[in-house]
Amino acid sequence: MDRTLTNFIHALRNAEVRVSTAETLDAFSAVQLVGYRDRALLKRSLALALPKTADEKETFDACFDQFFAFREVSGSRQANGVPSDAGEDAQGDGEGEGGAGGGRQDSEQPSSPASDRQGNRKRKPRTTLQDGEEAEPDLGPGEMSASTSTLGTLLMQDSKVEISLAVSTAGEAVNVRDIQIFTQKGLYTRRIMDEMGLAELNREIADLRDSAAVPERRLGQELRRRREWLREQVRDYVERQFLLHADVTGRRLREELLRKVKLSNVEHRSFRLIQEIVYKMAKRLATLHARRKKVHKKGHLHVPRTLRSNMSYDGAIFDLRWRSVKIDRPRVFAICDVSGSVANYARFMLMFLYSLEEVMPKVRSFAFSSDLAEVTELFERNRIEDAIAKTLRDYAGGSTDYGQAFADFKRLCLDEVDNRTTIIILGDARNNYGDPKAEVLKEMYERCKRLIWLNPEARNSWQVGDAEMRRYSAYCHQAEECNSLMHLERVVGNLLKTVR
Amino acid sequence: MTATAEAVRGRLEAHRYICSEQIATAVYLAYHLHKPVLIEGPPGVGKTELAKTTAAMFALPLIRLQCYEGLDEAKAIYEWKYGKQLLYTQVLKETLEEVLQGAKGFAESVTRLHEFGDIFFSEEFMEPRPLLKALRERDGCVLLIDEVDKADHEFESLLLEILSDYQVSIPEIGTVKAVTEPPMVFLTSNNSRELSDALKRRCLHLYIPFPDTALEQRIIQARVPEIPPELRRQLVQFIQELRGLDLKKAPAISETIDWARTLVLLHSEALHPDLVRETLNVILKFQEDIENVQAEVPILTNKAVKG
Repeated sequence: MDRTLTNFIHALRNAEVRVSTAETLDAFSAVQLVGYRDRALLKRSLALALPKTADEKETFDACFDQFFAFREVSGSRQANGVPSDAGEDAQGDGEGEGGAGGGRQDSEQPSSPASDRQGNRKRKPRTTLQDGEEAEPDLGPGEMSASTSTLGTLLMQDSKVEISLAVSTAGEAVNVRDIQIFTQKGLYTRRIMDEMGLAELNREIADLRDSAAVPERRLGQELRRRREWLREQVRDYVERQFLLHADVTGRRLREELLRKVKLSNVEHRSFRLIQEIVYKMAKRLATLHARRKKVHKKGHLHVPRTLRSNMSYDGAIFDLRWRSVKIDRPRVFAICDVSGSVANYARFMLMFLYSLEEVMPKVRSFAFSSDLAEVTELFERNRIEDAIAKTLRDYAGGSTDYGQAFADFKRLCLDEVDNRTTIIILGDARNNYGDPKAEVLKEMYERCKRLIWLNPEARNSWQVGDAEMRRYSAYCHQAEECNSLMHLERVVGNLLKTVR
Repeated sequence: MTATAEAVRGRLEAHRYICSEQIATAVYLAYHLHKPVLIEGPPGVGKTELAKTTAAMFALPLIRLQCYEGLDEAKAIYEWKYGKQLLYTQVLKETLEEVLQGAKGFAESVTRLHEFGDIFFSEEFMEPRPLLKALRERDGCVLLIDEVDKADHEFESLLLEILSDYQVSIPEIGTVKAVTEPPMVFLTSNNSRELSDALKRRCLHLYIPFPDTALEQRIIQARVPEIPPELRRQLVQFIQELRGLDLKKAPAISETIDWARTLVLLHSEALHPDLVRETLNVILKFQEDIENVQAEVPILTNKAVKG
């Protein structure tokens, strides 16, 4: 059973729940304590030991239900045959179960008539056949098949636990966990069936069909039905394995791609994923930089206070007092061009900046296409996504006018820019041949600590057409090409290093 | 009494702590695996209360360490009794001469002094703080480290040793281990910041959400037994609806209990828009929230009354 748990933890890790070795050991001891019998208790116990955040708990819930689904079915069936038989009828293999009455007779006498009746009601034409089987259980078609093919025996044993075990074993044997993309599902289903001895079973079924004896033909039919049922089971199994193991692998590939792709080319349906990546990146940067904060916090020795508080110790200095440093948070002004072509970049940069709230100095953001306005408040009051959507809705119209935007900025808050301020401008500097007003940018440049210009266009097109980048870049401390999440991460990472 | 999670739940309920199975399982596992439990969840859902009730349930003393920014080992683990040390040096000044009598030269004096060992840094001069106290408790205890997210990063690292091995290292004395029974440790966090992975790794992680309607009704019944059943139903219904609204701070269980007590005190039998409006300040703690909810009160009350 320990294998099960390890596999489960593997699946969890795949679903991006971080499980350390220590936690694995905890899970083992928890399982030893509570056992596998009570599924709900097992789930609750593992939920305490393995996932460690609210998000992870959700993932864990889904994962657990998927992973232990197969076992649950088999477990409950053993406990009481009737309800789950009904459930299987609904799945469409009622006849398989109903016909199994003969093999099951000794162990589950009371349940078989019930399920048979159900089968009869559903499939009138077969009534005679099934009644016939019921009538002559002594002929024992099950016993005959036992000698011929192993898979047939297994199927006729009518023990779902055994079968599911066999399916997992076969799955392990063909390395179903390596499954990568969904088109491989059919392939793995077939491989597992082969591994379980499908060829042999097929031969047996063919032989039985040609046989003269009625009971043998009957067995052949029965086996055929059960073979289909098994195929269904295996397909389910593969599906689950795919969801557990491959889905995320594919996702990781996609994430890897999305990090490098140009943000303007991102399709709308990938936005959610990108958002998640941004949060993830932001979180990494946040933890990376959260530690540094403390270094600056401890100030110098506060001599007067130390002396005063140690007076009671006869002037011997035991208890040191420190001057605490008052951290005056520097500020970041983000000015974003949100006109059509650049809007997507603005979206993700704002998302990035605001996801970093914890470690980032106070961010004030401005959006413009022709007129510039402050949108900081929008971000304070709404969730990031909503705020971004609103910003784009309200400010994206109109043709780009950098000159006007800078003039607006000057009027609005140039006074508040001081030598601790970092200004980030995101835009392609395409000014529609209007007045660039570079002198305003110069003014900003002189007042602030750093002025960073992020341009989504490739460096070689910075001078082409109506781009004013050459004029502007003279007044930037740093002008960078920035058009993918990777660039963005780098820029923001550097920013965190320098602003704090 | 702790044979199964269900039994633990029963015991907790006997102490008027009504909880979900998840919570009972956490206590059960913590007890049997000797693992600390990190409890997270919105404020007021009974995180601290769980630790207190567990202590009462096992009839163990509760040692509480309230965390705050700037908490350090001197306040959490131990401190030297400087005053006593000074006093003793003063008193012993004369004895010192006897000890050093006949010693020739500085080196010999120091050697003689060394023979007396580090008396001033022995247990007699040590002031144990909560963590050390908890380890020294002979029959075990419940250690509650409250609002650990309020403390600094450094303090988290300080906790790691006690959480994983139930011991603390004191440079002058050595390692102090739990005497016999390791304490049951509960840490609570309001999620004001992300705790380090190292800390989380050493704990069982329990998330307590707001309770569902049925559970909350039972909680109110246990805590405010004198409330009429119909009012209780309406009140819980109202609170549950209220949590669905966009609020700065959603009312927690503690607020529901306060409100129930208030309504009992006012001898009310059923919710009424005016009554709700007048007592809204018991469940909502921000003026902004109160103003926003005012308009919704009649609708919500109606819904709650009708069920």
